[in-house]
Amino acid sequence: MRDSRIETVKVKSLESGVRWILKRTFFVDFIKGLMVTLGYNLSKGVTLRYPDEEKWIPYRRFRGVHTLNRDLDGRELCVACELCVKACPTRCITVVPMEDSTGKGISDRVAGVWKVDLVRCLFCGYCEDACPTTAVRLGRGYERACFDLSSAVLDKEKLLLPEEVPPDLDGGVIVAASFERTGAGMKVNADFTKLKGDWLKMQG
Amino acid sequence: MFETTVEVIIICIKVGVAGMVLFSLPIPLTWVERKVAGHIQVRLGPFRVGPHGILQPVADMVKMLLKEDVIPTKADKWLFMLAPIMTMVPAFAVFVAIPVGDKFTLPFIGKDITLYMSDMNVAVVYILAVSGLSIYGIIFGGWASNSKYAVMGGLRSAAQMISYEVAMSFAAVGVVMLSNSLSLVEIVKSQSGGLFHWNFLYLPVGPVWFMIFFIAGLAEVNRIPFDLPEDEGSLAAGYHVEYSGMRFAFFMLAEYIAMVTISVLAVIFFLGGWDDPTGVIPLPPILWFVGKVAAFIYLFMWIRFTLPRYRYDQLMTIGWKILIPVSLVCVLVTGLMRI
Ligand code: SF4
Ligand code: SF4
Repeated sequence: MRDSRIETVKVKSLESGVRWILKRTFFVDFIKGLMVTLGYNLSKGVTLRYPDEEKWIPYRRFRGVHTLNRDLDGRELCVACELCVKACPTRCITVVPMEDSTGKGISDRVAGVWKVDLVRCLFCGYCEDACPTTAVRLGRGYERACFDLSSAVLDKEKLLLPEEVPPDLDGGVIVAASFERTGAGMKVNADFTKLKGDWLKMQG
Repeated sequence: MFETTVEVIIICIKVGVAGMVLFSLPIPLTWVERKVAGHIQVRLGPFRVGPHGILQPVADMVKMLLKEDVIPTKADKWLFMLAPIMTMVPAFAVFVAIPVGDKFTLPFIGKDITLYMSDMNVAVVYILAVSGLSIYGIIFGGWASNSKYAVMGGLRSAAQMISYEVAMSFAAVGVVMLSNSLSLVEIVKSQSGGLFHWNFLYLPVGPVWFMIFFIAGLAEVNRIPFDLPEDEGSLAAGYHVEYSGMRFAFFMLAEYIAMVTISVLAVIFFLGGWDDPTGVIPLPPILWFVGKVAAFIYLFMWIRFTLPRYRYDQLMTIGWKILIPVSLVCVLVTGLMRI
């Protein structure tokens, strides 16, 4: 029958017994608990209002969507060596080399086709490790939701475009954003000049 | 003849207004409850439908209306369909006896309008009796569903409500002893004249009666920490597990209205009804009343997201071994004080 008691009372001394009774009579623990929740109720939430108002910008080490890079003169760094294709565990990169002596790339050999299937990519970063010329890099883009899987395959033209996040912005921050839904799809427009706070600090 | 007609028309208008208010009350209340839940859990709560999610209940209602109305094959169809109505009707019927203010005079005509449908001289008894009826709906719902979870929920609810009905009635007895009347309007009048005339502060028994009433009330309306009939953890959803669509919404409606009823009763019994605690702030009495009730409703939600659920045997222990003996002692003390 002991189990049916609300709490097993172990009265050690008269004083602790009295304190036990007083605590129960005046609902002390109960009020303490209520105060804790009241504090939380009045505090500001930590919810990130993505995508309507805020957006998180990842750190530089983040492994997001690939980018293909150029050197300072604007020549494509990729020499179509296909090492990234070999290194890729999911075989999602396709590279078809092409001869080109117009100076488009840093050598005569450039990638005629360079595409990556992001549906299969697991963002392991082996491709960027394998690349001898630092042509392929995993960037900071992470919004890849789409209605149509064919748009998950990115080709060279798209990958060569500059990244959306400005390169001088250190990550780990929250910026202002707005959400746009049109017939063509959805888009989160981030305003990288309006910082809204530090991610780590927000986590308390 | 003319007088009677006017009276009938006035009563019809009052019933219409009260019915409409009661039917629409759960709409803002669900929103508030989810907001309170959200903020206590450091979230935002509903946010996407309308500004600050204010239209979320409307979206929910549309969803409820469009849901398929499932009746299990082996269920007792009549009882199954009857049960939600049986819970809802008593919840509404209680409000016949509940005053929300004294009376006001219509401008230009000079006619007094009372802010209650009827000032019964046995209102306390009426309310306890009628609100006790809603348990039939819960038991019928649980039984008719032909599901183990639902039956368990219904039976738990029966045991819980009957146990706590005793403590609750004792609390009402206490109030009646303090106010010397069974009519709610009289009970409020007996507390008029500021904070220190309220039953809540009739030391030393006032606070005790209040706590007994409040705890029993929590159990009576199946709110956390006493929501064993619909214990999600062990009974899925308890007595309404088989219900869907509008029938489920009726149960929810009844539950919210029961919560409002308990808040209103607590305010009338212990916090002076529409009485102004300070005697100096010139607010209309009805606003005092609504404000106090709102504070109570917040308290209910606040407790819901603070406390865990009691075990079933703990629930019974609190009811039979603590509340009822304490109320008996309290009756004695109150009686001695009122000699
Ligand atoms: S990140 Fe990994 S999986 Fe994705 S393309 Fe590069 S190597 Fe392949
Ligand atoms: S991206 Fe790098 S590794 Fe891949 S083909 Fe081009 S140069 Fe070679």
